[in-house]
Amino acid sequence: MRFAMPLTILGLTGAGIAFALLAGSYAHFILALVALTTVVGVGLNILVGLAGQVSLGHIGFYAIGAYATAILTLKGLSFWLALPLSGALAGIIGAALALPALRVSGPYLAMITIAFAFIVQHGTIEWRELTGGQNGLMGIMPPSLGPLAFAEREMAILSTLLAGLALYLFHRLAGSGWGKAMLAVRDSETAARSIGLNPVTTKTVAFALSALFTGLAGAIFAPLMMFVAPDSFPFSQSILFLLAVIVGGAGWVVGPVVGAIVTVVLPELLAWLAEYRLLLFGALLLVTLWLAPAGVIGTLARRMPRRKPDAGKPADIDLQSFLGRGASSALDVKGIGIAFGGIKAATDVSFTAAPGRITSVIGPNGAGKTTVLNMIGGFYRPQSGEIRLGAADLAGAPAWRVARAGIARTYQTTQLFGTMGALDNVLIALRRGRLGNPVKALDAPADRRAAAALLAFVGYRGAPDTAAADLAHVDRRLVEIARALATRPQVLLLDEPAAGLMRSDKAALSTLLRRIADRGIAVILVEHDMTLVMGISDHVVVLDAGRVIASAAPAVVRRDPLVLDAYLGSTAYARPRAAPWQGPGDPVLAAVKLRAGYGAAAVLDDVDFAVRPGEMVALLGANGAGKSTTMRAVTGLLRPVAGAIVLEDRDIVDLEAHRIAAAGVALVPEGRQVFPELTVLDNLMLGANTRRHVDTSAELNALLTRFPRLRARLANRAGLLSGGEQQMLAIARALMAKPRILLLDEPSLGLAPAMINELFEALADLRDEGITILLVDQMARLALTIADRGYVLESGRIVRAGAADELAHDPALEAAYLGHAEAEQ
Amino acid sequence: MLVVSAIISGLGLGSMYGLIALGFHVTYVVSNTVNFSQGSSMMLGAVLGYVFGIRLGWPMPLAILIALILCALFGLVVERTLVRPFAERGSNAWLMATVAGGIVLDNSVLFTFGKEPRGFPSVLATKPIDLFGAGVYPLQLVIPLAGLGIAVALHLALNRTRVGKALLAVVQNKDAAQLMGINVRLAVASSFALSTVLAGLAGLLIAPLYSVHSDMGTLFGIKAFAVAILGGITSAWGVMLAGLVYGLLEALVTAFFGSTYTQIVVFSVVIVALTLMPNGLLGRAAVNKV
Amino acid sequence: MPTRTRIPHVTRRLLLAATAATVFAVPALAQDTLKLGLVAAMSGQSAKSGEAIVRGLSIAIDEINAKGGLLGKKVELLVRDDESNPAKGAVAARELVQREKVVALFGGLDTPVSIAIVPFANQNKVPFMGVWAAGTPITRNGAAENYAFRVSAVDELVDVALVEYAVKKYGAKNPGMILINNPWGESNEKGLKAALEARKLPYAGIEKFETGDVDVVPQLSRLKQAGADVLFLVANVAPSSQVVKSLDRMSWDVPIVSHWGPAGGRFSELAGASAAKVHFIQTFSFSGNDSPKAKALFEALRKKYPEIKSFADVTPAVGIANAYDGMHLIALAIGKAGSTEGPKIRAALYEIDKYEGLIKTYAKPFTPTNHDALSAQDYIFTYFKGDEILPLTQ
Repeated sequence: MRFAMPLTILGLTGAGIAFALLAGSYAHFILALVALTTVVGVGLNILVGLAGQVSLGHIGFYAIGAYATAILTLKGLSFWLALPLSGALAGIIGAALALPALRVSGPYLAMITIAFAFIVQHGTIEWRELTGGQNGLMGIMPPSLGPLAFAEREMAILSTLLAGLALYLFHRLAGSGWGKAMLAVRDSETAARSIGLNPVTTKTVAFALSALFTGLAGAIFAPLMMFVAPDSFPFSQSILFLLAVIVGGAGWVVGPVVGAIVTVVLPELLAWLAEYRLLLFGALLLVTLWLAPAGVIGTLARRMPRRKPDAGKPADIDLQSFLGRGASSALDVKGIGIAFGGIKAATDVSFTAAPGRITSVIGPNGAGKTTVLNMIGGFYRPQSGEIRLGAADLAGAPAWRVARAGIARTYQTTQLFGTMGALDNVLIALRRGRLGNPVKALDAPADRRAAAALLAFVGYRGAPDTAAADLAHVDRRLVEIARALATRPQVLLLDEPAAGLMRSDKAALSTLLRRIADRGIAVILVEHDMTLVMGISDHVVVLDAGRVIASAAPAVVRRDPLVLDAYLGSTAYARPRAAPWQGPGDPVLAAVKLRAGYGAAAVLDDVDFAVRPGEMVALLGANGAGKSTTMRAVTGLLRPVAGAIVLEDRDIVDLEAHRIAAAGVALVPEGRQVFPELTVLDNLMLGANTRRHVDTSAELNALLTRFPRLRARLANRAGLLSGGEQQMLAIARALMAKPRILLLDEPSLGLAPAMINELFEALADLRDEGITILLVDQMARLALTIADRGYVLESGRIVRAGAADELAHDPALEAAYLGHAEAEQ
Repeated sequence: MLVVSAIISGLGLGSMYGLIALGFHVTYVVSNTVNFSQGSSMMLGAVLGYVFGIRLGWPMPLAILIALILCALFGLVVERTLVRPFAERGSNAWLMATVAGGIVLDNSVLFTFGKEPRGFPSVLATKPIDLFGAGVYPLQLVIPLAGLGIAVALHLALNRTRVGKALLAVVQNKDAAQLMGINVRLAVASSFALSTVLAGLAGLLIAPLYSVHSDMGTLFGIKAFAVAILGGITSAWGVMLAGLVYGLLEALVTAFFGSTYTQIVVFSVVIVALTLMPNGLLGRAAVNKV
Repeated sequence: MPTRTRIPHVTRRLLLAATAATVFAVPALAQDTLKLGLVAAMSGQSAKSGEAIVRGLSIAIDEINAKGGLLGKKVELLVRDDESNPAKGAVAARELVQREKVVALFGGLDTPVSIAIVPFANQNKVPFMGVWAAGTPITRNGAAENYAFRVSAVDELVDVALVEYAVKKYGAKNPGMILINNPWGESNEKGLKAALEARKLPYAGIEKFETGDVDVVPQLSRLKQAGADVLFLVANVAPSSQVVKSLDRMSWDVPIVSHWGPAGGRFSELAGASAAKVHFIQTFSFSGNDSPKAKALFEALRKKYPEIKSFADVTPAVGIANAYDGMHLIALAIGKAGSTEGPKIRAALYEIDKYEGLIKTYAKPFTPTNHDALSAQDYIFTYFKGDEILPLTQ
């Protein structure tokens, strides 16, 4: 299996040479062009398939290679010297082009490469003394090797050999540390930096190598044609090169071969069409793209059974000495702070994370936990304070340097390198940014064993080469932790590792975290699952509104009234319904056995609930329990879902989101999501978008009386409003739709207490006016004071349902938020 | 005089580039994709206008109207067949598909319309008038005004009409727009129709100054893309501004340094400008969230 | 949320089958014909030139076939599109010679494409007949055994004629050049400079413009400031008209002496009233041409291509005429040689004594030292009156 690809390449090269020996001279020519296009394709494949960059300017490198060889050989230099020199020249220019190209992406990058192609083209036209101008350079003689003067057949063989070599080198590169690093940067630049990879380096190398291959191909093209002119390198050829890679299948070793055959041989087969050739060629390309959007090889590969991976080898390496690398030092965070556009996200945050201990950072949503992690990890530059690891102050250092200094991290939403296998994810991290020989396989046996051992250590039991994007949720978490450990960190930052995990997985996770700490690593944990946090932490730091409000042992923190208020909200200013709700029994909205999730991971598991006309129902639960997912499922933003969602008598489970909205479901989404560039008035009017014949002024007036703060700001851009005002606007906007039911997702999130008071006052008014409401809010106690009934979600299941006042005193509620008390022992 | 005529030339061309580039902007902000056959759309507008207005002799306003309607239809077809099938799968093969679509359209027109460049007569481009000592056709003054007018009209349509605001809502937040009952797919399709109409309009405006043939849009398409990027493809005003800057740069470099280096200088400026301002003149950075 | 647009399986199969069918259904080879190949720009902005050449060649071939063909075989023309790209042209020439076994090749409009093909033709001893591209090195390529011939203008000679006309007619002392930025423009830049040098004349400036340029005022303003008294114009019909329109706007009434570009299409339609001010060189024109051959050819064209109604529809006439005469000359040589072997045809081309052609009566059109059938004496200056090309009496 290991030699399958080299043998395939050898076979292809052999077939090419055999063809060259047997066929006539026209065929030689075509073969040479296929081979040269393959070489260019391989070059572009490095850029497109590995580094994930796009170039529409490769004809420029091709022309540079061709002209360099033409000029040098016409000046009397041997072709065999001119060839490498031309390649090197193209490579150097490629590296230089990488500098502007690195700062941009997407269409901006495409434009820079297009501009480059045009500059080269006009350069070849205008630099006449050197390039012969528009009419080009003629009389470029094919090389000779000893007594053998090259004719077309020999040129074809030379091109084929170069193509074979290029394919082989690509195969090796793709398996090497460099190739994997390029993939890693492409899949997640963020995560790549946090395992010590410098994206600037990998992208520059990708550009240079890509240009080098293209330049070499051009260098053979010149003597093959015996003539070069600017018109030999039209811009459209650039597009064809890129097309060859895409049609073949970007990232696949032999993709460029298929692409080259399609883009070179197909037009030849169509040559008899004369003036209609381009038309049909264009049409056939479209057909190919429609039939094989992932490229020919990519689409074929998807149909083939995946080969069975070799089972992971038993972990026979000494993880203790691998992970515990000498004396670890504590991480000292001293007074760090940062503000975004005047809003202080973190202020004067200090704590120490000692080696061998688990330090948890907790706090309600928006408290600034992830901001603090991002400052430690080098993604944000703190505006004040110090971050010390041993003697080094790392505040403001780039992420890849922080990673190399010994701080590893995981992410709230896993940032694995999706196209790479689980084992490869760990292997690339083992390098800590030192990528080694670009043609040597990444997986040296010792490294492979270490990576397998790490995977086993974190409890990953899946196949080692399953692509990370296809992993189950829990496995993604585990592999991400293994990858972080592979950098042999002194400090491990974990951002909500338990989010979305099943209870049994959480138990395993807490054991794992303890074992990691036991290896002498300082573990810093940001987590919402309080059972977990309280169970395993040695020290807990509580943040609220960007400040540390408590810093102590878990048992102490748990009883701190400040902390309890921050989490559950007080009930001080809410107004219950005057008389208990009574109404008809037929629900306005009901979910029946609702199942939903993102990708492979199921988030909702047989959720049932109902909201009756005029009723206010609260949906409660900790972060990650599935509340927002429920809201997205109901409103159609998340599809597909299983089960039924019934609005009055109609199943809306298959409707598109905008039709559900038109049917009378209005959601005030989490984070407000007002249209920031539109005025307050426009936002409100959009709320009535699905309705016709609206008495605008009367309705607006009524709303503005309800939310007087908005009246003065009617003409302002919504983005300029404060958080509380935006929340009012979002609610008012939803009310403009005159919905059958109003859904509210975390309306109190990130609001100041006075604002929350006003908000709940307004919600109580709505309730009293008979509007049907489904409310999701982390301020559970507060929500229950105004709601009639409630449901408690935990890990995607409804665990409690009942009247609001009963639920408010149910210990299950507190447990759902702050963890089960029994776990404390 | 050299300066005046160069400035007038530059502004006229620049607003043309700006118009086509606005088409790139519109689809990009709505759907994160662009139609790389914009140049062909421009050609289509001019060719259809010629066929209806000159060859078939329809009244010009009618000819222009029908031409633009067909351009819009072409935009819908592009979106439905060349962009959506790929973009919805997360593949960026739409880039290649729209390029291939452009090739197909150009060549289809070559065989149906004819291979000869044709002149598009216009009363606005027969007698030059004197402006600060430089002669210009009235149409050359109309083009920047029309360019500006269309940009302003677009701005008003987006900001003053219900449909326009719905489109802006889609641009700013797709999820929230759906929650307002806005059909996002329809919005994306409309943005493509709008973008081809803008290009078609540009083609119709420039045809009398130029000539009508199947290949007329190729270079314009590329330059307009450069303009869209230079301006910052996320900003409509940036794109219009970049169009003027680009046109002026071309004309002034030619006037003062000779035509030899025009393209080299202009494309170098594009690279340097993007290096210094990775999001173009007025474009906004994509927010990078960890 | 996105519902996948999937192409049903059956449709997929059909599409595949259709694709395969189109690709491999190369037309059934007509048996035993004498094949001749043409490599020219058939698509893109020069598509019209390729069409004209095909028309000229086809009418000549029809005439030949009506008389029984050549060497007892019908003559067949194979056309390949080079997309104006020398590399594509080089491939197409090889395909025609090696796969289709054509007896001779015809070349198209682009000089670089011809330059890319000629070495191959020489190497493989296949006669190459240029009927358009005017670049000097095509026929004067320095090969010991030269197989490249031409029935078309030669830039160097045209440029001499242009300079002479400018001096004689307008008394040019400080001419300026406005040239299209392509190989043709560059070749004439060299030729014009040499021709001016030979007369010890200075030039006001050399300005270039792109085919896609809408506004040439900046370039022309530079020439005006430099005091140009006559302009040499080298560009195809559409760009030429851009120059005229820009001059109009500048209200700069300067004499224009042009290469044959304006003859390539509806120049007066494109350039407007001022089109008549451009005096351009020609080798052939239908209008005002009384020769029976020209009339017969026009009738034949009208019959074969119904869209042709008037002289204005047969553009570019030079392309048609050159191709027509070139075809007949090759046919004459093949007949004389009695063989399809390249060296024999080449020898026979030298032996052609006198041939009553369309453009002129050729007397010894080709000799081992001269592979160009047309010479400076064959150039006439013409102008557009309405949509007709009329000769200028000097």
